[in-house]
Amino acid sequence: MEATAKFSKTMIECTLLDKDLGRPFKPGDRREATPEWDKDKCIRCGLCYVYCPDGAIYRTEDGFFEADTDKCKGCGICHRECWFGVISMVKED
Amino acid sequence: MDKFSLYVPNFLPFKEYFVPEKNTACPGCGLALAIRQTYKAIELAMEKAVWEKAQQGKLFDGVFAKSPVGKSEPSLLKVKTGTAELSICFDNEAGGGIDEAIKKAMPAIAVAEGFHYVATASPSYPFDLYEKIKRAMEVAGKAYIHILCPCPVGWQFDPETTVKVGRWAVESRAFPLYEVSAGTAYHLTIQTPKPRPLSDYLKPQYRFGELSEKQIADAQTAVESDYKKLTDKAQPA
Repeated sequence: MEATAKFSKTMIECTLLDKDLGRPFKPGDRREATPEWDKDKCIRCGLCYVYCPDGAIYRTEDGFFEADTDKCKGCGICHRECWFGVISMVKED
Repeated sequence: MDKFSLYVPNFLPFKEYFVPEKNTACPGCGLALAIRQTYKAIELAMEKAVWEKAQQGKLFDGVFAKSPVGKSEPSLLKVKTGTAELSICFDNEAGGGIDEAIKKAMPAIAVAEGFHYVATASPSYPFDLYEKIKRAMEVAGKAYIHILCPCPVGWQFDPETTVKVGRWAVESRAFPLYEVSAGTAYHLTIQTPKPRPLSDYLKPQYRFGELSEKQIADAQTAVESDYKKLTDKAQPA
């Protein structure tokens, strides 16, 4: 009994005292990897923009593309669909 | 490098309509991709678009279907423009088996019901989907579009390959992309002169991991006979 009580107490503390739980949820919070563009190879075709399911990829003023880190979920479709292998998925710590 | 600055999205409207603040779709969702592309196509009729839940066992007005879309009840996106009445079905084969994955009954039912424009589409071919919805919105009468949305969680494959799996479904002729105007004029929009074997489409999905080779061979023959019926209709008589 003591062991289970202690275990449940620590579980409650872990869930309640985790500071991350007290903030609003953003779609990109649980991302495992972030896409990064190699601008030397990119031909700016825009296929990554067309195939992004979440509309996270936007066009910058110089014509290249970047991912909005609030929306990107790190699915890797852009990495897989790029014809020239420009996009690499970089894992976060 | 300026010489090659092609810009593919020039063919699509730039504005994003599908950006909910709390987007709770899974990573790599085919349904979210299809909805995003669909909303871009119906941009002017967005205000009149309504999501409708189909009644039990009833898909269109007056039509009773036994179980064309598996155990789940499909939701239809209904769009009304000046003359057209368009309903779009987003099919992710929830609760479906091998029979459902290789045979789509809904477009055939819609053709028999007398719809003026019936088409199948896939988010892996975005411009094909875009043009079909644009065409359906100009039809005088009822129109129906069936969209196959690969689901990484339900079909159990890597979310990276969502677009590839949708493309393999078309290339293996399991889900041919065609359109039927005026009930009789069949037209294959994506030609597959060198088809993939059906196992290329079934093997990446872990939900079909227990299929024996005989079942795959039977499915292959069923797909080929269905495709032959379709091409016979598509040829001018």
